This record gives sequence, structure tokens and C-alpha cells, in this order.
Amino acid sequence: MIHVENQIELVNIQKNYGPHVVLSNCDLSVRNGEFVVVVGRSGSGKSTLLNLIGGLEQPTDGTIKVSGNSLTNLNEEELSRLRRQKLGFVFQFFNLIPTLTALENIRLPMALNRINKKETIERALSLLEEFGLSGFDQRFPEELSGGEQQRVAIARALAHKPDIILADEPTGNLDLDTANEVLELLNRTCRQRGTTLIMATHSKKVIGLADRVFSIHGSDLNEAIM
Amino acid sequence: MNRLLGSAATRFYLKRPWQLFLAITGISLGVAVYVGVDLANDSARRAFELSASLITGQTTHHLVGVGGDIPNSLYQDLRLKHGLQLAAPIIEDEIRLTQAPSREFTVIGIDPLKEPSFRGFSSFVPGDGTTLRQLIAEPATILAPESLMLELGLQVGSELDLIFENTQKTVQIIGPVTEISLAEEGATTPIVMDIATAQELLDRKTISRIDLILSDIEAEKISSLGLSGVVLVNANDRNSSFDELARAFRINLTALSLLALLVGIFLIYATMSFAVIQRRKTFGVLRAIGVSRNQLLMGILVEAFLIGSIATILGLLLGHQLAKILVDLVLQTVGDFYFRSNVAAANPPPWLYAKGLVLGLGTSLLAAAAPALDAARTSPHAAMSRSALERSALKLTDRAALFSIPIMAAALALLGLSTRSLFVGFAGLFFIIAASALLVPTTTRIFAKVVEPIFEYIFGIAGSLAARGVSTSLSRTGVATAALSVAVATVIGIGLMVNSFRISVEEWLSGTLTADIYLSTEADNAITTSQIEAINISPGVLGTSVTRFTRIPTEIGEVSLRAQMPGPQGWGVTVNDQVPQAIEKLGSNQGILISEPLAFRRNLTPGDELYLPTIQGQKPFIILGFFRDYNTNVGTVLMPLEMYRTYWQDEMVNGVGIYINPRADRNNTVSGIRGILGNNSTIRMRSNDFIRERSLSIFDQTFKITEVLRILAGLVAFLGLASALMSIELERGREVAVLRAMGIAPRQIGILTLSQTTLLGLASGLFAMPLGIIMAGLLIFVINLRSFGWSMNLELSSQPLLLGLLLAVTASILAGIYPAMRAVKSGVATQLRDE
Ligand SMILES: Nc1ncnc2c1ncn2[C@@H]1O[C@H](COP(=O)(O)OP(=O)(O)O)[C@@H](O)[C@H]1O
Ligand SMILES: [Mg+2]
Repeated sequence: MIHVENQIELVNIQKNYGPHVVLSNCDLSVRNGEFVVVVGRSGSGKSTLLNLIGGLEQPTDGTIKVSGNSLTNLNEEELSRLRRQKLGFVFQFFNLIPTLTALENIRLPMALNRINKKETIERALSLLEEFGLSGFDQRFPEELSGGEQQRVAIARALAHKPDIILADEPTGNLDLDTANEVLELLNRTCRQRGTTLIMATHSKKVIGLADRVFSIHGSDLNEAIM
Repeated sequence: MNRLLGSAATRFYLKRPWQLFLAITGISLGVAVYVGVDLANDSARRAFELSASLITGQTTHHLVGVGGDIPNSLYQDLRLKHGLQLAAPIIEDEIRLTQAPSREFTVIGIDPLKEPSFRGFSSFVPGDGTTLRQLIAEPATILAPESLMLELGLQVGSELDLIFENTQKTVQIIGPVTEISLAEEGATTPIVMDIATAQELLDRKTISRIDLILSDIEAEKISSLGLSGVVLVNANDRNSSFDELARAFRINLTALSLLALLVGIFLIYATMSFAVIQRRKTFGVLRAIGVSRNQLLMGILVEAFLIGSIATILGLLLGHQLAKILVDLVLQTVGDFYFRSNVAAANPPPWLYAKGLVLGLGTSLLAAAAPALDAARTSPHAAMSRSALERSALKLTDRAALFSIPIMAAALALLGLSTRSLFVGFAGLFFIIAASALLVPTTTRIFAKVVEPIFEYIFGIAGSLAARGVSTSLSRTGVATAALSVAVATVIGIGLMVNSFRISVEEWLSGTLTADIYLSTEADNAITTSQIEAINISPGVLGTSVTRFTRIPTEIGEVSLRAQMPGPQGWGVTVNDQVPQAIEKLGSNQGILISEPLAFRRNLTPGDELYLPTIQGQKPFIILGFFRDYNTNVGTVLMPLEMYRTYWQDEMVNGVGIYINPRADRNNTVSGIRGILGNNSTIRMRSNDFIRERSLSIFDQTFKITEVLRILAGLVAFLGLASALMSIELERGREVAVLRAMGIAPRQIGILTLSQTTLLGLASGLFAMPLGIIMAGLLIFVINLRSFGWSMNLELSSQPLLLGLLLAVTASILAGIYPAMRAVKSGVATQLRDE
């Protein structure tokens, strides 16, 4: 067997909030281009896990490697650069910047990576077209429906061609049909680009699309057998 | 339910101690500024009234001899023939003392029986009832000035030797005279004696003047009697230099108190409304779960009431202290102990504090109620939406900008009125400031839009985000930037005005002080004609100007007369408004010049005639022009010495200006002049530089109050902005977290936040510049002119303008530091977690 370096590797992770143990003894390895789903009840620790991978929170114990970097060894500036270049986030409440248009929201991560303006506009427009949002480029978030906002948010997460997308309950705030469309879109675009997708959800609908499914129960993280 | 609402509000503040601190400091500072200035104004006003009534007593008029004294018989006639009971004869003369032979002292003879109804008739209080009765009963008794007794080591019971026209007489001191005057130059507290004693000691049968208490009708009657050799003078005009000072002080403070009112309202409104606006979303939710409109409104009002009361009480205490500082600061220039203790002792009426209480509580409640009402009125869903809030804020700022147009028009109409009313001038100034304040949010928005591309170019898309944040958070920043702009504009306006004033005074001084050395004396005949001739030909001297200063009673009150023989460099006047060839005509004795305040006060124009009482009776003099004069007295008439001597038969000189050849050795020249003058201690010799420096340092001292203003404005600007920025930062927490998740480094977030606040500061600072210039113009061309008749040029020196901009930017950067630090440190994960 050829040893493939895992893109994400969590070893023996422990996360406490004061006396409250959220995660303990968790191991997780994700390969390049995989679609991994994390399920569990609300409050089980899904967001915590994603935040740990994104470097937004520090583990109480254990090591996390993302794209070959050990997160615990990085300072704030280096973590920021890693997120800026390698990661994309999709949130339950979309979290578009209200004072930027759809186009500008998508351009934002590219601009942060100092890609030249012309290219950011071209790429953002083509993403909007790909996501069925042509003509919406000058709209502000408040002028878009929930589903449209989430599609812009996904375009924003993909715009700078990250290696990994962390999606925290991206459909939690959408109706069933829209939710399915959004899921479909995320799955398709990530697979086309070979982007790793880690998604937290408590809906079991996604399971059919994913490569692997993990569930959090108590403070344990276990791979579910399909 | 209500208790839960209460604890939700309490916890909101407990979790944000900074917000509570800002709200309380903001409100109390607003109250303090207003109450402090108001209290200072009031205590000063009442102290002035008190002092003024002590000084003039109830005397309304003086009857003064034109050529000198009044015969005793006139006084008898007034009482017996014309039935005037309220008339008091006064004798005034100069004597010397064996204990201090080089100086002259004034003696005053009074009728102690008349004294109680007149109280004071000059700037001092003679003794109490017992000593006054003793004055009549015992011959050769006097009351001596406290300062003189102190100086010569005299006590009650001590004897004093008076020298009058080479005869020496011994008198006994039976009590002190209390000094209360703002000593005019040369004025000294007199030695007081009974009028009979005075006539005996001074060997005279005449009196110097008669003090009268007259109604307007009686005054009219006396004037119409046409009594020969005497003029009726208004008593108020005699104390005019005191009045002018009081007025200058009060006008300064009134301007300040208007501003304090505005700034106080702004600050309280800004800080209190932030605390409420921030919880708009929570209010929406509360409404959604069934809290009624009135319940919500009541809850918020109770909260505002609690915070408002605590802060207002603190503000009242603070304002009380501030008043003391302000009064002290202004009084440093007065230097009169009696007056100072009067101000300190003046107890302000309680309703002044009540006004502060109403302002503090009222504005707090209003500031909380406006956004609360808005939240209660809109549907629960819309209340939760930030964009709805900003949209309504936008509409409000546009409406405010529109509303400023009629206010501005009203201001211009008021200022355009051909009135000399100071009140109207102040109203116009107030309206202009208010209208400008209403324009600030809109101009800030436009400014942010203009600079957005520049920001984008420098900082990338994050920069444009910062610029846009300014206009999308106007609901928070609108009032704060308006307050900042007004405060900074005031600092600029007053700075420019003081600067212009100072430059004009400097110009005036160098125009007036053309000689190098000035001799002055208050003693009669101290400088002789032969001495002046000797000085003229003394080595190193180019020439002299000779002046006689005196005061003459006129039908329009007492005026100063400056009769002058010009020196090599002319008259030493800056003439602004004049008939053609005024200076030539003055030189050839064809008329007189009068000072601007006199012209303004009496509404005179060049070419008019002014009647002056000469030895030959009332004579008309043609007014050739107006010269600048910043002395705070009633007015000055300048005429050629030759003309004066012809009409008044007075050869005295009390001022000589000496022009020194710049190539001559100054020390030698000066000692030559000293040699000519001999050892006469009544003649003062002062250099041009000394007088100029002394005058300017008095000027600087007078306007020291503007420094306090600058500090207050800075504080106000800082606090208002700090609370606005804090609330924006709290609101933007989630946005910042998203940016952080996208990989913006904490340092960049800090830079972004700070550049945003700098932008706000820059916008208000830039707006404040033209507003400041307008304010300076109004202060110079309306307020000062209407108050004092002073004319001056508006000098647009860059320093006050740049200082103002610096103040705005510094205040906003300082105010932004804490919010920026919080933004940098805030936990991303916590902010992102679903609420
Ligand atoms: N900052 C925090 N302090 C204390 N407990 C926290 C904090 N953040 C999350 N938790 C707790 O951690 C657990 C996991 O939360 P989270 O990861 O958000 O769950 P999920 O995303 O699965 O709903 C919850 O029980 C929550 O109460
Ligand atoms: Mg979650």
C-alpha cells in the first residue's frame, strides 16, 4: 500500500470548556478530495470540531495537522495565512458582509490573497454564472433570498481555490428543496475541483452523497459504518 | 416578566462595563459642562451687580463743574429752590503726606448724614455709622485707606500730617476705608473726611461735584434749568470701565454657555441612544414573544431614568467644581480681591441646578425613547433587521440635512437684520451652529463615498469596507460626528477670533506706540515745558510727542480726551473710517478724531459734530474719522494739543513720547533724559517694549479661558466618539469574526478599525474648518462689534485651523484604540457560534 499523506490529521484530540468535556480521544484523518460528513445532535461538538480544524479554536490536548502544518505550532499571523490560502468556510447563517455586494463578497477572499482586481472580477462573475446567479452581482445580501445568499457564500468559500472547505450546517437555515439544491451544488463543485469538503450537519440526508460519515456521541468521534 | 426584562438590561451593562462607564461619563460630562458654565455665568453676573451697586451706590447722576468747582450756593439752591433732597455735595482734592512726601493722595470730603442713602459715591466704602458720626462731631478727623495704613504702619488713633499748598495740618485717623474698586490707572483710594473739615483744611468755599439720585423726569428738569458752569453726567458712565469689563466677561461666558448647552445635549443624546440602539434586535425578539409596546417602552425609560439620574447627579457635582475653575480663571485678569470674594461668596440659586437636572434626565429619556419608540413601532421582524435600522437612519440624516436649510435661512435673516442687538447676533450664531450640526452626518457620508476608492487603492477591498462602514453605521456615528464637528469648529472659531484679535491688538499697539520711551504722570505740573524742550535737544533724541490726557463730561457721558502734539512719526493712530484728508485736517486744527467704540455706541459718522463743554461753553467739533481703540473705556476723543489749550486754557502735560535715534547709544540717551527730569518719583518712564509686552500678556491672560474650552471640546469629542465606535465595534463583532475566518490577520483588523475612526475624525475635522471660519467671522464682525464697537480683521492663520484638524483626528484615533483592541482580541469562534 502506498502511504498517502493525509490532508487533515487529528490525533488524540481533547477539547474542554472548563470542566465540560466536549471531545476526547478523537482521531480523524481525511485525504485529499474526500467528502466527509460529521453528524451528531445539536450541542454534540460538531462546530467545535470544525473550528479546531480551521484553527479558530485551540485543542486542550492532541495535535492537528492541516496541509502538512501542525496548527499548534503556528502563531496568529500564520494561522490567518493558512485560512486565507488553504481554507474556505460556509456557515449556517450565510454570514455575508452586509455592506458588500454579491460580487464584492465573492471577490473578498481573492483580494485578501492579493489576486489582481481584474482577475477577481472575472472569476467572481464566472462563479456567479456557474451557480445560476447571473445578474445578481450588484445586489446586496439583504436583497437576496436565503438560498441565493448561501450560494453566494459557497462561491465566496471556493473563490480563492482553497484545498479544504469547512461547512457548518450549511443547510440548517433553508427549506428542504433549497437545502437539497445547495447540497447538490456543494458536492458537485467540490468534486469537480478536487476540493476536500468537511461538513457538519444533523440531517441524515447528506449521508448518501458523502465518502465517509463520522458521528459524535458523548465525547467520542466514531466512523459510522454505511 | 418585568423583573426578567430588568435583569436582561442589568446584565447587558454588567457584561459591558465600558458601555456603562461611557454612558455615565458622557451624560455627566454633558451636564457638567452646561451647569458649570451656567453657574459661572450666574455667579459672575450677580457679583458684578453687587459690586456695581456698592460702587455707584444709588447715585444716578453727578453734577460736575465745567471749568472746575461749583459754588456752595448752587448746592443750597438745588435743595431749597428746586427741592432736591437726594443730593450730596462732594469735595475732591490732592494733598501730600509728610510720611510719603513724593506722592499725591486724593482726599474726599463727604456729608456723612447723606451717606446712608448714597452708600458709595466712588469705588470705596467709607466707614460704618459710628465712625461717620464721629467724623462730623470731632474736628480734624479722617478715615484712611486700609492699604495706606498698612503701608505706613498706622492704626486707628494714629496721627497723620497733611501737606496742602505748603501748609501742614495734623489730623487723626478714626477708622479705615475699604477699597472695592478695580483700580483704574492712577486711581487711588481716597482719604475721607467730613465736608466741613475738608473745606477748612483745604481752605476753600467751593465743592467739586454734587451726587444726585434722580428719576428720569427730574434729570430732564435739571438739564432744562440750564444751570451755568455745570453739566449733569450719568453716574453709570462714570464707572464704565468697570461695566465694560463685566460685559466682556459675561459675553464670553454667554457664548460659552450656548455652546455648552448644545454640546451637552449632543453628548448625552449620543451616549444614551447607543446603549438602546444596540439592543434593537433583542427588543424585536421581545416584541415577537409578546412583550407589549408599552411594556417595552416603560422598561427602557426606567433604565434610562436610572442611568440618567446617577449620571446627572455626578454631573451636577462636577459642574459645581467646573464653575469654580472657570470663575477663577477669568478672575485672574481682574486681580481685585474684593470682587473675587464677592464672586466666590455668591450663592447660585437652586433653579440653576434644576435646569441641569432637567437637561440631564430629559435628554437621557429622550435619547432612549426615540430608538425605543422606533423599535416598538416597527414590526418585530423589521426591528431585528440591521439594514432596516440603517435605512431609517439614512432617511433621518437626509431629513436633517433638508431641515438645516430653513434654519440656515433663519440664521442669515437674523444676521442680516440691520439691528445692533447682541441677542439677535447670538441667536444667529446659535442657528448657524445648529444648522451645520444637522448637515454633518450627510457630509460625512458623502466624504466617505469620495474617499472610498482611495481607501480601496491603499488597503484593498478591506479598505473600501472600512470606508463603507462609516456611512452604513450613521445611526451610531451621526450624532457623535456632529458633536465632534461642532466642538472642533468652536475651538477653531475661537482660536481664529483670538488670533485675529491678538494680531489687531499688536498692530494697534505698534501703530499707537510709535515713540521709544514714554513718560507719564498723574501729578499736576510734574513735567514742565522747559524739561520737554531740554529733552528735545538732548543727544540721541529725535523728537517728542506731547500729550494731555483728561476726562471731560459731555452730554453723552464722560469721555477720555487725548490732546496731542504729534511726534516725528505722526499721531500714532490707525484711522479706519474718515473724511478725505482727515489727518491733514487734524493737523491744521479743523476737527477731532474719535475712537471706534465711541462712534459705534453713539452711532456717529465721519463729518458729524460732537459737542464738548469748553471753557467758553458747549462747542461743536467736527469728527474727521474713527481710530482703533481697544481700551475698554467709554470712548476717546483725540484732538491737537493746540486746539485743546485754546478751548480749555489748560497747559498741563501728562504724557511725553520720546523718539530716540536708532544709531544713538540708548543707555546714554536714557540717562540724559533722567538727568533732565531729576529725581521726580511721580514721573513714570516706560519703554515701548515694556508697554507692548505688558499689554499683550494681559491680553493672553484674558483669553486663557479658551484653553479650558479646548480641553473640554477635546474631552467631549473623545467621549462621544468613543461610545459611538464602541457600539459599532460590538455590532460588527460577527462581521469581524467572518473576516478573521477568511484569513485577515488580527493586526489588519486593528488597522482597518483605526483607519475607519480616522476617517470619521478627518471628515468632522474638515467640516469643522469652514464652520470654524464662519464662527470666527460672526464673533468678530457681529458679536464683538455689537458688544464693544471694536473693529478687527479676520486673519486666517493656519495654526488654529490645523490644530482643530489635529484635535479631531487625535480624538478619533484615541477613541478608536479601545474598540480596535477589542476587535483584535475578540474570540472568533465565540462570535461565529449561532446565537
Ligand atoms: N465558549 C464556550 N464555553 C462553554 N461551552 C461551550 C462554548 N462553546 C461551545 N460550548 C459547548 O460545547 C458543546 C458543543 O458545542 P458545539 O460544537 O457548538 O455543538 P454543535 O455544533 O454540535 O451544535 C455544547 O455543549 C456547548 O454548550
Ligand atoms: Mg454547531
